[in-house]
Amino acid sequence: MTTTRRNLFKFAGGSFVGALFTPVPWRLITDTALWSENWPGIPVPARGEVRTRFTNCSLCTAGCAVRVRSIGDQPVALAPVANHPVSHGAMCPFGLTGHHLPYHPARVKQGPVEQAQAAVADAVAKGERVAVLDLRPGRTASWTYRRAMAAIRNGVYVAPAQALGAGTAVNLANAKTVLSFGAPLLEGWGTPGNVIALRDGFRLIQVEAVESRTASLADQWISINPGTETALALGIASVLGGGSPDYSPAKAAAATGLSEQQVRLLARELKENGPAVVLDASGSSAVLALNTLVGASGLTLVTRREAPVPEAWKKAAPVTELAEIPEHSVRVLLIDESAPGEYIPWSEIEKTLVPDNPVVVAFAWERAGYGRHANYVLPTAVYPETTEDIPPAIDSVAPVFRMTAPLVTAPAGVVDAAAFIAAAAGLVPGDALGERIGAIHKSGRGVLVASSDLKQTPVKDVSADDFRKALIAGGCWLDAADEKAPAPRLPLADPKPHPAEAADLPLVAVLTEARGSVAPVSPLMSKLYEESKLRLAPNRAALNPIAAEACGVEDGDRATLETPYGRCDVLVTLDAAIPPGVVEVAARPGILDICAPGTRAKVVRV
Amino acid sequence: MDREFIARGVKRCSTPKFLLWTLPWIGLLAFGLYAAALCLIKGLNQTNMDNRFAFGLWIFLDLTVIALGAGAFFTGFLLYILKLDELRAVINSAVVIGLVCYSGAMGVLAVDVGQPLRFWFTFWYPNVHSMLTEVTFCITCYLTVLVVEYLPIVLRNRKLRQVPQFLVFEFELHKLIFVLAGVGTFLSFFHQGSLGGLYGVLRGRPFAFREGLAVWPTTFFLFILSAAAVGPSFILLTTWLAEKISRKRLVKPRVLELLGRISGLLLAVYVIAKSVDTLVWINRTSPETGFQAWQYYSWQPFGTWILLAEIVLFGLAPALILLTARLRARRGWLVSAAAMACLGVALNRFVMTVQTLAVPTLSFDRFLSYTPSWQESGTFLAVVAYGVLVYSFSFRYLQLFPEERELRFEAEQTEELPVMAGEIDPAGRY
Amino acid sequence: MISEKNPVKAARYGMTIDLDRCNGCGACMVACAVENNVPPAHAGANDRKGLTWIRVYKVDNGAEYPDRRSVFVPVLCQQCNKDTPCVHVCPQQAVDLDPATGIVGQMPERCLGCRYCMAACPYHARYFNWWDPAWPAGMEKTLNPDVAPRMRGVVEKCNFCHGRWHAARERAAAAGKPNTEPVTYTPACAEACPTGALQFGDLNDPASLPAQAAKNPDAFRMLEKLGTEPKIYYRSKRDWVREIASAPKPGAGSRVASAPTPKEQAHG
Repeated sequence: MTTTRRNLFKFAGGSFVGALFTPVPWRLITDTALWSENWPGIPVPARGEVRTRFTNCSLCTAGCAVRVRSIGDQPVALAPVANHPVSHGAMCPFGLTGHHLPYHPARVKQGPVEQAQAAVADAVAKGERVAVLDLRPGRTASWTYRRAMAAIRNGVYVAPAQALGAGTAVNLANAKTVLSFGAPLLEGWGTPGNVIALRDGFRLIQVEAVESRTASLADQWISINPGTETALALGIASVLGGGSPDYSPAKAAAATGLSEQQVRLLARELKENGPAVVLDASGSSAVLALNTLVGASGLTLVTRREAPVPEAWKKAAPVTELAEIPEHSVRVLLIDESAPGEYIPWSEIEKTLVPDNPVVVAFAWERAGYGRHANYVLPTAVYPETTEDIPPAIDSVAPVFRMTAPLVTAPAGVVDAAAFIAAAAGLVPGDALGERIGAIHKSGRGVLVASSDLKQTPVKDVSADDFRKALIAGGCWLDAADEKAPAPRLPLADPKPHPAEAADLPLVAVLTEARGSVAPVSPLMSKLYEESKLRLAPNRAALNPIAAEACGVEDGDRATLETPYGRCDVLVTLDAAIPPGVVEVAARPGILDICAPGTRAKVVRV
Repeated sequence: MDREFIARGVKRCSTPKFLLWTLPWIGLLAFGLYAAALCLIKGLNQTNMDNRFAFGLWIFLDLTVIALGAGAFFTGFLLYILKLDELRAVINSAVVIGLVCYSGAMGVLAVDVGQPLRFWFTFWYPNVHSMLTEVTFCITCYLTVLVVEYLPIVLRNRKLRQVPQFLVFEFELHKLIFVLAGVGTFLSFFHQGSLGGLYGVLRGRPFAFREGLAVWPTTFFLFILSAAAVGPSFILLTTWLAEKISRKRLVKPRVLELLGRISGLLLAVYVIAKSVDTLVWINRTSPETGFQAWQYYSWQPFGTWILLAEIVLFGLAPALILLTARLRARRGWLVSAAAMACLGVALNRFVMTVQTLAVPTLSFDRFLSYTPSWQESGTFLAVVAYGVLVYSFSFRYLQLFPEERELRFEAEQTEELPVMAGEIDPAGRY
Repeated sequence: MISEKNPVKAARYGMTIDLDRCNGCGACMVACAVENNVPPAHAGANDRKGLTWIRVYKVDNGAEYPDRRSVFVPVLCQQCNKDTPCVHVCPQQAVDLDPATGIVGQMPERCLGCRYCMAACPYHARYFNWWDPAWPAGMEKTLNPDVAPRMRGVVEKCNFCHGRWHAARERAAAAGKPNTEPVTYTPACAEACPTGALQFGDLNDPASLPAQAAKNPDAFRMLEKLGTEPKIYYRSKRDWVREIASAPKPGAGSRVASAPTPKEQAHG
């Protein structure tokens, strides 16, 4: 065949037609579906070696054990550790999305560190009062703060008051009846895995104005008029033979909307179906005092020892409650918000500050908490970046010590609050965590639990170095509960006078979502907030449609929540499940500044 | 100045006046195209459709215009296959209406799907069980047929037919007109039916689900019937509208009356079939799925009034009017009945698309409502504007109404005022 | 080796959901989103335009306060085994019922976005990407490489974590197990559920929890009379909870809610 142009065209044409009889062109056409699957701009997940690591979640004191799936060094999925002795294979939505937190758009990345240091150093040098407010006491860092405050002339360490007393744990395993006044027992209270594991062992009576998730799953839901928990507690107390002498079941029934018979029945159940424990959402002393009357001390409320601490640390400053600090006495206030904990309304804190030029330094990962009131916001590491121990949860009867493993490197500008405060106080820098772990190992008590295989090895059989390595890799130290520990002293009832009924504040505020409100929340939580309304989003207030009509608001309206303590912007959600006299709000810092459970409020359209 | 393009023997308004007429429609078209462009560029979040209302205004309007555009195939069928020669007077207009309706619907569909560039997947990976595959194939083929049918009308333009190749081409094409009409009828039968089948096969939506014949639910046949019934009505309506706007007589009244009579007859058959189907659905089909029929109509505002409106007010009533010769002869009654018939079909399509999705299926569903966004309305208005513009240009430059010249000649001869709507011609010539 | 004497044993993966245990925490919803690279809500998203492959509904007994009682119902793709509505209607075969696993799989790269399948599904288990996915800067590093993210304009839904099934298949093959036996794996939602309300397994295996639950008199499936043979078996001892499986009854506590107001659409 000669290579003329015609022959060339014939060959090309023939090849083309022939190719149509092969799979090649057809496959290429179908493959365009795969090539065009995503346009540029859609992220392609990075590939790499799959690694399994372990950590413990520090988003709340449950400290659930976590199995981390990493691609290379990047965590891509967090999962529970099944059958773990502490967390029993449970995790909550916040924990499941913890690995997103380093990338949260609201995250603070830089802060005026030098200026803050200078301001603190100035006050320390002048002997003015320096206070550390630790929102999550019980950590090794908490001991560092206490040691630092002891090292300076006028230092004081403040932690939120513990309603049941520090070192008291709820022993659910011993309980046959649990009377909960709105405590979110099945919504993230304590260690969720533990509550679930023990659930079939006790009868749960939930006293609450709103049908919360806990109330819907409780054995019995007692719905009372909003804000009348104390009245009911006093009524039950009078039947049990304690409490205020001028209170009666009839009075309690009138206030709560129950019948006298119901009040008496509740009291009888507590007495006859014991051991019982009484819990409260807001730490009301009247409610918690019922525990004394039902003999909970030593049975369902027990003393829990702390994990061993180096002897040298015991000379640290004592724990002071905010109420004990004289007004206008604090020059520098250092607030450690780095680990999610309780939120104290700012108005209570502000009272303790000197009126002219107080210095408030907030160690936080975002500005929405105390950052709004602070002079200096210093960024801290967020959960998967931290190396920090997690204090035991309220239902943790046995001493326990576990840490978060540093899975991700923190960005360059973050500050270690403990190191900052220690340096400001002139404390010798050291490895506090290392010393603590050393002290635990030295005690020779307890077992080391490895998350990978759940093997429990007595501490005595582990070398100090291996012990330390295992804890930093997400292991857990567990001791036996102290049978011989003295029964805890429970607080006495101190009923506050009922606030006067305010006619122009027609609603009673009920707080929900206390777990995630002051803790960081992944953007993916929109699945539960905006995309399904399963949970109340942090910026929302829920009203019964009738109440909403009375307030002149509709679903989705911008509104202001007004209380005697201030006002806050909210978005309205209508929910027929909320009783008409109630406004349900998600417990975030802006709300908690102006609103406690039972606060009277009104909702005004913007 | 465009006199040369306008056919001999007919009068058209001056060019500036025509441009003035088109201006607002061009404006509307531009606005609508902008709305559509927003949807294509930013995505379908520009609409108010959501996961519960996966179909909204566009699908409802698509189904309605396709039903209304059925006049194209049906008139062709009646003229070329059943040899009803009076309809030659409106066949061209019908083809233009059909072309406009179908091409407009396709345009909206291109915006409605999430990935318009993947349109060819339906042809490459067809699912023989899916009614939507059938619809896609048939409508695409039918649109081609309509274009081929439109071509001769264009080529017969006074200026274009001066080109000999066009004249020959048009002549040869016209010999095939029976084939085209037959193919068009066949394709239309299937896609009109399949559009009904889209909803009738939805086992998961007992409101729409119907039993049927083999793989075709009763809605298949009901949609064909209703489309065939309303096609002539819509032709009637548009012709009347064209006469009113252009202030000319375009067709002999008996043509419109014939269209009305055909429409009325088919509408009556449809009403009977629909009533039987509805009774079977209420008493057997729906209860067997566990859904009692009465509960569909307990979700306000979709009360039983909607069912009665569809079948009686906009179904039986216009059918009876159109079947009554005396009423047919009065232009006012004729046009009103035709309009009611069209509204009835629109209501039926609305019920099948929107009400089907609005009524809950799970016991804990909420009844939700939906209002189209301006982008959705804008896109639809673009189709309306497009239709008006195509029809206006076709009316001006092409011979849509063969009888127009004859009627104008007669009017000039007798020097009478043209017969206005509502009058009966005393001489009884028509 | 697969042969006539050693045919592939088909699995029929299903799930049982104990409604007396579900506490509405939503762990399943976020675990699913993490596993399947579902993006966080766009600014304009609400509960009608979101992407929640598994969604927990709060359902009440229709009584007025204070007799109102609630139950939490996780709803995901019911993996209909017979006359699967979405498979039947997709014009380009972007959905198929896999005979080897019983999983109804969705192919986002084939999807045209016509949303016919969404109209067909009575369980509202299908979700459309109204927006392009967007993650906050840096968060895309946390995406799961086993699942492809989807762009806007395509439908997506639960596929029983098909990627995990593949991984389990590969592990079984690497361990030398014959590929004729079904594999055991756990989807993200069941793995994350803290109360153990969600249990996954092979309905063809009589020892699996879903197979056992299916025989329980307290078990029910949603809208059974439709004849779609869903493979999700719900359980509850409460009579009124079992009633939610049947068709809606207006007036029995159902609320008529209007579409989101423009304000709500703006704020999300």
